[in-house]
Amino acid sequence: MVLDRSPKLDRVFHALAHPARRAIIRQLSGGERNLSELASPLRMTFPAATKHVRVLERAMLVRRRIVGREHVCRLSAEPLKDAMLWTEEFHQHWEARFDALDTLLDEMKSEEVRPRRR
Amino acid sequence: MHHSGLQLSTPSDSTIVLTRTFNAPRRLVWEATFTPDKMRRWMEPPPGLTMTVCECDPRVGGALTVQWKTDEADPAMTLHGVFTEVVERERAVHTETMVLPTGETIGKLVETHEFAEKDNVTTMRITQTYDAKEARDGAIASGMDEGMEACYERLEALITDRA
Repeated sequence: MVLDRSPKLDRVFHALAHPARRAIIRQLSGGERNLSELASPLRMTFPAATKHVRVLERAMLVRRRIVGREHVCRLSAEPLKDAMLWTEEFHQHWEARFDALDTLLDEMKSEEVRPRRR
Repeated sequence: MHHSGLQLSTPSDSTIVLTRTFNAPRRLVWEATFTPDKMRRWMEPPPGLTMTVCECDPRVGGALTVQWKTDEADPAMTLHGVFTEVVERERAVHTETMVLPTGETIGKLVETHEFAEKDNVTTMRITQTYDAKEARDGAIASGMDEGMEACYERLEALITDRA
């Protein structure tokens, strides 16, 4: 059950759902990079890298500034915190359900051992 | 990080798998999972919601209906589902559509339950496959696991530094 319908969060998860974009995030976690520095280790054309960076920008995960002729990208990790919180909440929601199921199963087992008298 | 036995994974772009073991025979886990008066006990609602309707008929073609209310709206949300595959105590597949009172569908998925028993311990595996057309849920399913795992440690440090 997906509970949080925030479009902002959807954009973050969408951005994370591609291996090239995760690779870009990993590169940027080491510091600022320009677009060609991001494209070359991914063996990606400049326009393809630009496309992925745009998706990351829309998710507010990457900020880009233009210095002379270069586009310098920087990681903005704040939206990831929301994504992690969502993941944690999903986990906790199901954990709570399964803990309740544990309790219920214990009751069902002891009722079987000691059937109620009529 | 998590201490309970709940395992989460996302084997494909639109799939979330939850695995958990229970200290009970499969027969009881099946009964607890699909019997309405038992489901009411463990299907913890999302915060702010109260369950009002719970119907479940685990046979092929049988329906699953769960409804919740809030202080402001009754119903606030309805889950509609139909069982498409059932092997009693082993495996059940049902559809699941979440609908708001306005008629708007906010989530659509197929849920598969699988039960395996060994020495009176049952492993339940729930596979949620999100509708490919619902890009939002699919994206969540895939980004959740890989994205998180790939980035978690390094980024946690970054967030702490820059927050």
